[in-house]
Amino acid sequence: MGSTLRLYLTCIRNTLDAAMCLQNFPCQEVERHNKPEVELKTSPELLLNPVLICRNEAEKCLIETSINSLRISLKVKQADELENILTKKFLRFLSMRAEAFQVLRRKPVQGYDISFLITNYHCEEMQKQKLIDFIVQFMEDIDKEISELKMSVNTRGRLVATEFLKQFI
Amino acid sequence: MAVIAVHQFAQCITCHAWSPDQSMVAFCPNNNEVHIYRLVEDKWEKVHVLEKHDQVISGIDWSARSNRIVTASHDRNSYVWNLEGSEWVPTLVILRLNRAALCVQWSPKENKFAVGSGAKTVCICYYEQENNWWVSKLIRKRHDSSVTSVSWHPNNILLATTSTDGKCRVFSTFIKGVDAKDSKKGTSSDLKFGELIVQLDLSSSWTFGVKWSPSGNTLAYVGHNSMIYFVDDVGPSPLAQNVVFRDLPLRDVLFVSEKTVIGVGFDCNPMVFAADERGVWGFIRYLGERKTVSSGSTYGSQFSEAFGKFYGQSKHGVSNDAVETSKTRGAVHDNCINSIIPLGQHGILTRRFSTSGLDGRIVLWDLENEQDLLEL
Repeated sequence: MGSTLRLYLTCIRNTLDAAMCLQNFPCQEVERHNKPEVELKTSPELLLNPVLICRNEAEKCLIETSINSLRISLKVKQADELENILTKKFLRFLSMRAEAFQVLRRKPVQGYDISFLITNYHCEEMQKQKLIDFIVQFMEDIDKEISELKMSVNTRGRLVATEFLKQFI
Repeated sequence: MAVIAVHQFAQCITCHAWSPDQSMVAFCPNNNEVHIYRLVEDKWEKVHVLEKHDQVISGIDWSARSNRIVTASHDRNSYVWNLEGSEWVPTLVILRLNRAALCVQWSPKENKFAVGSGAKTVCICYYEQENNWWVSKLIRKRHDSSVTSVSWHPNNILLATTSTDGKCRVFSTFIKGVDAKDSKKGTSSDLKFGELIVQLDLSSSWTFGVKWSPSGNTLAYVGHNSMIYFVDDVGPSPLAQNVVFRDLPLRDVLFVSEKTVIGVGFDCNPMVFAADERGVWGFIRYLGERKTVSSGSTYGSQFSEAFGKFYGQSKHGVSNDAVETSKTRGAVHDNCINSIIPLGQHGILTRRFSTSGLDGRIVLWDLENEQDLLEL
């Protein structure tokens, strides 16, 4: 792991540690409702300042916090067209299975590739440190996964081309 | 160690309260029920389940003298429970709220209780003999956001509130016919109901956990920006101090004496704050020491030192199993602590108290063995 990546992830980890101080908080606007305030944004006083952590232009992480919920949005590095397509497809695949991940948001926030939504209920059921580990691990793995996919696409492309061209020999 | 007992009662506890003689504990296991446990031969047995609310219960208070329980819930209602025979009989309190009730506390004389709500109001409820029900009077249009915590001054008139608009306010709750005029030594009974006595705008973020000191001279509350505020001379010209600390924000505080405060919160470990002779407040230390994991005894001292250093650093380090163990070992709670309740008679000195948190534990603490804190 490059040293800049390590710093980037440590920064995110520390920010999440401070931001993940969530509590049960019923809706102020609608009777008998309890909703993540970071999604509704109806009461500005219940939101904290969002934090944007950038490694470079292509890779960034936006952390928005409110009294009972926290939204983490990631932008994953996409160097070329192929990576772009792979990232889009791969993250779409994950987002469609959002229930299995619990903290994954079904749709990313505009301008980002994937978003997580953590509410106070997640913090009650799961250990905070493990949740943070999961997010950071996810970020570490996603780059690896994309480059592996890219590699296998290229390898397969080459293989197919070779096989196809063999008939002309 | 200051911990004397740890009980895992549920998966998650939102609030708890003790019976007057501390033989029973009532808590909400993060649902619409209140469970009451009694200590029978060193074992806690579930003796009652109070089911009446239909959403999560946010506040419980058990009155010391009249042995009544008041509960407040997100379903906008509040019940007063009376023990009749062996059954707890609920009385619905018409709070006239249209949002969730968030916190509740009996007044020192136990003739009133206060409910803070998400409707940006505070309800002061009192018993009306002729109608045989609890009547609620509202303090409206003073709070700009939800009321997170309420606390009664020992004189039974003044009420302090904290809110998510970042302010702490003190109100008069004098109700004709309920509060006797004879407490006229101060100015407190001249004030009308709902009059704002002081508004403290110290915090830049949400405020929680307001408490008065036993004498009622000092007020303490916490902000979500990892600060704790101490206010003396509550009145027209209050004297405020704030203490910044390094760790995650607090949720609730408790005065164990005039000069010592215990704060609990997201750091899972109670913090001790104290005032020195000049009255300057400061952070003293953690109550439950966070021990570094030392498998040390088998190794040489130098080696275990290195081990300690290694584990100390790995608190924020990369993900491996050492992270969790070093973070949670030592601390008794392993999730946010959200309430702290004194044990024993209401007096000047509190030596024992209990904390409960999102990890579902109720922990009893005793300061008797903490020599350095007793001298403060």
